[in-house]
Amino acid sequence: MKKRFLAFGLAAVFLFLTGCNWLSDLQFGVQTPLAAPPVYTAEELPAYAGNPFVALYENQPRFEEEEKTDRSYEYYSPLDALGRCGYAFACVGQDLMPTEKRGSIGQVKPSGWQTTKYDHVDGKYLYNRCHLIGYQLSGENANERNLITGTRYLNVQGMLPFENMVADYVKETGNHVLYRVTPIFREEDLVAQGVIMEAWSVEDEGDGVCFCVFCYNVQPGVVIDYATGESRPETAENSTVATYVLNAGSRKFHAPDCESVTEISEKNRRTYQGTREALIAQGYSPCSRCNP
Amino acid sequence: MTVIVCVDNRNGMMFNHRRQSRDRAVLDDISKTLGSARLWIAPCSAALFKEMPQAAPHDDFLRYAPETDFCFVEDRDPAACADRIDRLILYHWNRDYPADVFFDPAPFAAFREAERTEFPGTSHEKITKEVLVR
Repeated sequence: MKKRFLAFGLAAVFLFLTGCNWLSDLQFGVQTPLAAPPVYTAEELPAYAGNPFVALYENQPRFEEEEKTDRSYEYYSPLDALGRCGYAFACVGQDLMPTEKRGSIGQVKPSGWQTTKYDHVDGKYLYNRCHLIGYQLSGENANERNLITGTRYLNVQGMLPFENMVADYVKETGNHVLYRVTPIFREEDLVAQGVIMEAWSVEDEGDGVCFCVFCYNVQPGVVIDYATGESRPETAENSTVATYVLNAGSRKFHAPDCESVTEISEKNRRTYQGTREALIAQGYSPCSRCNP
Repeated sequence: MTVIVCVDNRNGMMFNHRRQSRDRAVLDDISKTLGSARLWIAPCSAALFKEMPQAAPHDDFLRYAPETDFCFVEDRDPAACADRIDRLILYHWNRDYPADVFFDPAPFAAFREAERTEFPGTSHEKITKEVLVR
């Protein structure tokens, strides 16, 4: 009985000294991050051009030396003031992987969540609750710090193949994979433009798994308002595919023969083939000179 | 010549210079299929087959390998040497992975299926082995 009182007393002192935040952290499986993550902004990302993902930084992840550990580990950023997820990071090992079927996650309403159906979308629902660290990797169920509003296309065409690659590698080799998923929001948007996924296998120093990609949170045939999560079907007017020249610095788009195109630096100039609506949804605005 | 390829649901083979996946059950099956025959591979595949004495790395193995031998292909499309291939063994992971190197099945469209078996892998729920012959 004396021992029990002593343990209670020590716990009370610990609570008093540390505050109670660790309780909610414990609830979400949070541990201490090993290094500050790199800063990614929506402005540095190429516009969607028909592929569910694009390689970034020559497909090399940006993990710091101090993050390279062979100890299984997971971290989920606290939600920001708008209720949006930050980056999630894990060192995925077999001991982190689930041993039972996924539980319900329907009670979580990620930022920008809307229940919207389209006939042409696989499974009908436009949005899925997308795990940042996939359930097959870390066994996290209804963790609000790990779920974003993502299109079916992002979930299945974009993120899932990368999760599969990591999961199967870990299962096969018993090795660990550093794995970070960073949702990218533009300004005050509630729905992410997409996620940056980075992975690097630890024991073989990236020989088995190594990538850095951006997966687009888009859905072909649907125009998304990223500020709110509202959406509408693509129509003939908003689905005309044309060629534009983008200025990744100013986030303006131009007609190919616009005089301003010659003033864009080579670093910022990109050719884009797609719809005007998709460009606007990704934060680009039309040039006032050529008004494309 | 017999060519062995592992593919995902979209005929992908590699992503970012790395194989999409691996499975000891597939390696065991390849070893059994080979018997004592030689398995020609690209140098980048050598680590995968380090415990298989039949494996022989060569830069231009698809052209160099004798027509009676086996080749394991993962970093290039074997279509360029399709006229030398009379048997194709495809291991399907039955999974979606990212890919930037693909296997093109078109040159082998006229091949007929000689065998199709399924077995569990060590890290894959179901692997399908498909043998196509000219």
